[in-house]
Amino acid sequence: MIFFRITLYFIFLFYTYQSYSEFKYEIEIIEISDGTYVILGNNDALTSKNGGAISNTGFIVGKESVFIIDAGPSYIYASEVINKIRHISKLPIKYLLITHHHPDHSFGISKYKELGVEVIMSQSEITRYEKYGNRLLRQMKSLIGEEWFENTSIIQLDNTIYNFPFKIDLGGRIVEILYYKNGHSEGDLIVRDIYNKLVFVGDLVFNNRAPTIPHANITNWSNYIDQIYNDEWSLLVPGHGPLIYDKKKIFKTKRWINYINAIAKNAANKGLSPAEVFEEGIKAEFKEYKLYRETWLRDLPLLMKKYDE
Amino acid sequence: MYKFYLIIVFLFYSFIVNAGPFSDFKAGAELSEELTSSPTERRNTPNSDSLEQALLVLDPQNSDMWDYLQISLLGENSNVSFVEDVKVIMQDHVEEPHEVPLIVKLPNRLHNFQKLILIIENNPIQQVIALTPFKPIEALGMNVRLEDDSPVRAAILDNYGVWNIGSKMVFVSSPGGCSSPSCDPTVEVCEQGVVGKIAVKQYEREGEAERIKLKITHPMETGFVMNVDGDLIPEYYVNRIHVDDINGPIADIATYAALSSDPVILLDLPEKGQSIRVHVKDSQGLEFFSYNNNSM
Repeated sequence: MIFFRITLYFIFLFYTYQSYSEFKYEIEIIEISDGTYVILGNNDALTSKNGGAISNTGFIVGKESVFIIDAGPSYIYASEVINKIRHISKLPIKYLLITHHHPDHSFGISKYKELGVEVIMSQSEITRYEKYGNRLLRQMKSLIGEEWFENTSIIQLDNTIYNFPFKIDLGGRIVEILYYKNGHSEGDLIVRDIYNKLVFVGDLVFNNRAPTIPHANITNWSNYIDQIYNDEWSLLVPGHGPLIYDKKKIFKTKRWINYINAIAKNAANKGLSPAEVFEEGIKAEFKEYKLYRETWLRDLPLLMKKYDE
Repeated sequence: MYKFYLIIVFLFYSFIVNAGPFSDFKAGAELSEELTSSPTERRNTPNSDSLEQALLVLDPQNSDMWDYLQISLLGENSNVSFVEDVKVIMQDHVEEPHEVPLIVKLPNRLHNFQKLILIIENNPIQQVIALTPFKPIEALGMNVRLEDDSPVRAAILDNYGVWNIGSKMVFVSSPGGCSSPSCDPTVEVCEQGVVGKIAVKQYEREGEAERIKLKITHPMETGFVMNVDGDLIPEYYVNRIHVDDINGPIADIATYAALSSDPVILLDLPEKGQSIRVHVKDSQGLEFFSYNNNSM
């Protein structure tokens, strides 16, 4: 009899463990310099396996407070990140910066809001988050599974108006926040850790992956990449993909957006069907980008439409 | 005692059933430009096996649907020939099934034809358009809705009474182009254009040749999409497009709701049209003109 109970117990344990672990993020914290950390996303498409954790998250620990860059895709993700941070520092998490409104960067906000964290986001991106958030959330749920989004909600944010650029002192650590209007999104924010020569650029730079352009102004974006290149930094954390030490690497993003832009513009002027453009194929250089095919198929018709109007 | 066995069996069973919460996961099909930063990978991209399978399905001999389609759309005793030179150009793998661009390019021998019908075999609305030309046409483009993976076929009736059929297999990664809303008014602002607005553009091609592009603002409701209350939105679509210029008619096109909302039609003509005019009718009997219609 006892044997059965024990068996039962173990089966039960096994069963619950399995179903629990399905929705757990694999969060690995990397210290990139003294007091600055990143969690690299999976750099893939959104899948039921990665739970949407495809973009990079970062945090900076000062002597008084902790500053977080991007909230990740969900409440669960944000909670797990906070748990991990607690092993590193017990200081209060005072600021959360959202580089832009896209779900893989912003949907963890609801967790931070519970903790009373100050959310820094540009005005245009707050508007987009609030306006399209629920729809995006529903799409995310149907795409990769409801379970990942337990407790995730779209919340009303305070309309604090920031005058960019500005600096925040975390206690012996100063971070600078810069605003890039109408680039990759309507209002991207980037964070500079001046002392350590680090920069977190959000989706203004993608590494090893085709950049996405649905809300982009290509000309501005391209100029911003030049500006970032000319800034002083020795390590750049892109929105997606591995860390960048070699400055020239950020031009890969620029080459892609200029290429797709030129093709789309030309095709729209000639009255081509996107089908004909797809038939032409894509330059070999760009086939090295991760997710190039899916991105190409999705973004090219969108851009062509823009030029057609 | 056997009760425990039962419980154990039950637990094991439920464990197996639940083993992969996503193992039977099938997502809905609302993709939009808002869902950014990553394209989707809901289905595997075609591999060599699935492409081989696709070739099989493309062969009408292996299609369950083809015989019926041939009889109902091309005629009881129709004479068909599956040809290589009619090119249906579209992507192999579709991300956004509500609006899939395609273009049918005809070989020289078929520039003068009797009729062109575009068929999506595995679709709730199988016939997309039926075009009757009055002048030579070299290519025809449009945007279509794809419910699921399907062969897409262009059937062209030549002057000898033979249907020349070109085919293309297309994979849809997020099914539901006909049955899911492309914009859901419960959670977003759907910016509906003015129904019946017609934009006509002309583009030069090599020599004297030209391309005409028509864009008609219209919801093109399929009748398979539910509204907020769970009721089906009745079908409502453009069913006739007539194109002419000062020299007379160019083409008369019967259209169906398998065309995307705000349908786009491309027509490649060997000669430049002189002041192209478009006349559109929809399934509620409304008529729209790209020009001032004095007879109204």
